[in-house]
Amino acid sequence: MSDYTIVGKRMSRVDSRAKVMGKAKFTADLKLPGMLVGKIKRSPYAHARILNIDISKALALAGVKAVVTGKDTEGVKWGVFAYTRDQQFIQTQKARYIGDEVAGVAAVDEETALKALDLIEITYEELPPVFDPMEAMTSQTELIHEDFPNNINIHVNIDTGQVDENFKKSFYIREDTFVAPEESYFQAEPYAVVARFDHEDCLEVWCPNGGPHMKSKPLSNAFKIPLHKVKIRKIAIGGAFGGRSEICPADYICALLAKKTQKPVKIEFTREENTIGTRQGHAMITTHKTGVDEKGQVLARETTCYMDGGAYSSTGPIATSVPFLSMEQAYRMGSVRYNGYRIYTNKPIRGMIRTHGRGFACGLDTQLDMIADHLGIDPVEIRLRNSRQPGEYTSTKSYVDSCAMDETIHKAVEKSGFKEKWGKLPPFHGIGIGTNSVQTGFPMGIRGGSQAFIKFNEDGEATVMSGVVDNGQGNENMLVQIAAEELGLLPEDIHLVSADTETTSSDPGSYSQVSTFVGGHAVKIAAQNCREKLFKVAAKVLKVAPEKLAAKNRLIFVKNDPGSKRCKASKSIPIKKVVRISLLNFNSVNAEGGYWPRVDMKREWVKNPYGQMCEAFSFGTTIVEVKVDPETGQVEVLEVTAAQDVGYAINPLVLEGQFEGALTMGGQGGMLTEYHEWKDGRCINTNMLDYKLPLACDMPPKINNIIVESIDPKGPYGAKEAGMSIAMSAAQGYSAAVSNAIGVYMDSFPLTPDKILAAIKERKAQSEKKEPSKKNEVN
Amino acid sequence: MEKIQIFLNINDKPCEVMIYPNDTLLEVLRDELDLTGSKESCGEGVCGSCTVHMDGNPVRSCLTLAMEAVGTKITTVEGLANGEQLSDLQQSFVDHGAVQCGFCTPGMLMSADALLKENSRPDEKTIRKALSGNICRCTGYAKIVAAVAHAGNPQDHCPDCKPGK
Repeated sequence: MSDYTIVGKRMSRVDSRAKVMGKAKFTADLKLPGMLVGKIKRSPYAHARILNIDISKALALAGVKAVVTGKDTEGVKWGVFAYTRDQQFIQTQKARYIGDEVAGVAAVDEETALKALDLIEITYEELPPVFDPMEAMTSQTELIHEDFPNNINIHVNIDTGQVDENFKKSFYIREDTFVAPEESYFQAEPYAVVARFDHEDCLEVWCPNGGPHMKSKPLSNAFKIPLHKVKIRKIAIGGAFGGRSEICPADYICALLAKKTQKPVKIEFTREENTIGTRQGHAMITTHKTGVDEKGQVLARETTCYMDGGAYSSTGPIATSVPFLSMEQAYRMGSVRYNGYRIYTNKPIRGMIRTHGRGFACGLDTQLDMIADHLGIDPVEIRLRNSRQPGEYTSTKSYVDSCAMDETIHKAVEKSGFKEKWGKLPPFHGIGIGTNSVQTGFPMGIRGGSQAFIKFNEDGEATVMSGVVDNGQGNENMLVQIAAEELGLLPEDIHLVSADTETTSSDPGSYSQVSTFVGGHAVKIAAQNCREKLFKVAAKVLKVAPEKLAAKNRLIFVKNDPGSKRCKASKSIPIKKVVRISLLNFNSVNAEGGYWPRVDMKREWVKNPYGQMCEAFSFGTTIVEVKVDPETGQVEVLEVTAAQDVGYAINPLVLEGQFEGALTMGGQGGMLTEYHEWKDGRCINTNMLDYKLPLACDMPPKINNIIVESIDPKGPYGAKEAGMSIAMSAAQGYSAAVSNAIGVYMDSFPLTPDKILAAIKERKAQSEKKEPSKKNEVN
Repeated sequence: MEKIQIFLNINDKPCEVMIYPNDTLLEVLRDELDLTGSKESCGEGVCGSCTVHMDGNPVRSCLTLAMEAVGTKITTVEGLANGEQLSDLQQSFVDHGAVQCGFCTPGMLMSADALLKENSRPDEKTIRKALSGNICRCTGYAKIVAAVAHAGNPQDHCPDCKPGK
């Protein structure tokens, strides 16, 4: 279909070689001369006033080089948004969760640093904590944050169409509540930070991040140094999944220790610290009320969601909105009312996560299945009757341009044999479908765009500079593939300088799903601009108009005369030569390019949640087939079929890896085993033994990856977000499959064996009593 | 506690290092010998990121005292390649897209390498079982399993096998 040479091809990633050799440097691998070990002291209380901190004994310990507390800061509160400024980097007055940062130490080695932490004496006055979000809203005890009454951090309200009228017109209405506790990212790499101030008083920081420019600004503000003196450095990152998007108190503490000691400092989190000291996913209680006509088309919907936000805002407004927005993108809902409440509790902080709102999404899709059941239509049919179509507007007024939602449904249905299997499988053998959509981008204000620079070197090879960060998903390779394609070079001719705030321009960050759409696009434009300069020079040499030229395999040649492998084209010139001729004739061989998505700049998560949200949306369908053991409640996953409209597949090999990883996290782990347990505000399963992550032996032998291309008019080569629609629809697919297998619609996630067994038992008891089906039962 | 001198054999190279008796092998590899390929992801022997070979057998270096390595041959991920030439297994990981963030990769390679030395043509179930002590959060394991199955054993049906590269 396309005549690209490098883009669109299965290509092994440029960063793989260093990784298989063990040479890739992650933050904890760094060693700088004179480097000290940093450690953070954390509150043992979920809610307590800090009365006094005595650091004298810690400072006196041999080998301790610095101790910092809130007294060393100006006590300024930081927030992702101006209206969510609620977090000091080191607490001065109150600790709000078990793990809240209260002090930092830098010492010559780990043992000394840990001893020093114990020698810091802190007097606390315990305050009554609240751990349940519903309780927190009505609690009469001291507010977690005094500016937020009823402990309500964020309230998103969206109201469109004629909700109440359309409920009256509905043929059938259901109201159901779905619950899911928090889950965690469990990135393979535990968080770490290295910081140092150099001889020019510039701050250099290495840390895993979802966008280095998201780290540099708060540090610039906190240390009162201009952005050009804050250098967040490029480093290999061991996964993010949404949990490393914004500044972390550890970043600030590490930099503060580095400033005090005038030495580099490294802080390495333990696995437990990574679980409670970075971010977690939100626990949610979601009630969906949906009214449909006889055909199952949704006429009205009202959704209320209470989210347990933990002790601070983080990306609260985004987190409170995305679960709803994904569903309103996936399905038509002209009349919908949404009230999302993010509530403070004295627990670790919750942020955005790749499977955002597993209970929310699974609830909405499960309810659709229940409605379909009642109306006598199948789950595929009801989805097709409500699915997003191209050229429509979402209920919050985003125009949806490219959309192949239906194609993902049809292809997944065909590949999985859904129609042949659904309703025809033996007991405890089930198949289910989930569909979802993810926004390719958020409104990002000043950081909505990305700008890239490209320079050709004298030897005809190129250096590409881009702010895009790679968390492991393959963004570096994407940039190299695009640059090579447009410049006419081979991937090995390109060196990438990326994710470094000293040299690269501001970029929205990977957590907003726009690395390809915006960042890749900027590189494409920069490369095209660079190529244009070379073409002007080559045109003079070859004596043809520049429009007649093309570039490929390190050559610039006249189109339709590219030559063969054995002999060069008659009218061609190596790029290397063109670069040299350019430089010798006073011509630039550098270029820049930028891309800014045209979104409604007035759209705001809370104040004005309407308007064009982003330029493109991805759509995904996942079908799952399972067998459930009625004795043990264990689920055996037989086959998963994942189909996503990605716009265009820049690298199908990388995309397949994204689908497979996404369904493992969202479906296998997210629906079957992953959740946190608590005792009095303390997370009791913080490590990999007690929090069950999917293992190689758990995964089904057959995963079908279906890439659907709608060729988005705005995306580079037509590409949009890839992978997250699978993470989310996989959760829904797994849930639907288990529900189908046991004949009970589940409303509490994840679907652990105890819940499955209880549901089977209840269903058996009910059918033995021969009572009419109640609540969530299916006939 | 006093530091003591020990002699180790790492990737066929003898080396002498000063350690504390309670240093783990992982700490010594990373901090004293600058072999940072082996990683710490859980610190308790669950994730497999620290896997190295002791006399050819995969062990958790985070739960192995450096002292225990004395008199044995230790192989780390840095010892898999032959100079700049990747092993068949490493090349297969690269070709099959089995590497995403790369943090679990060294440990995964060490477990897979040990398996292939014992069983050069393992079936899928055997591979999955052998790798179930290595946690990966990015890949979902599918391409890792394919990479191990096809290492040095290119398959016609696989678009990512590159025989004779």
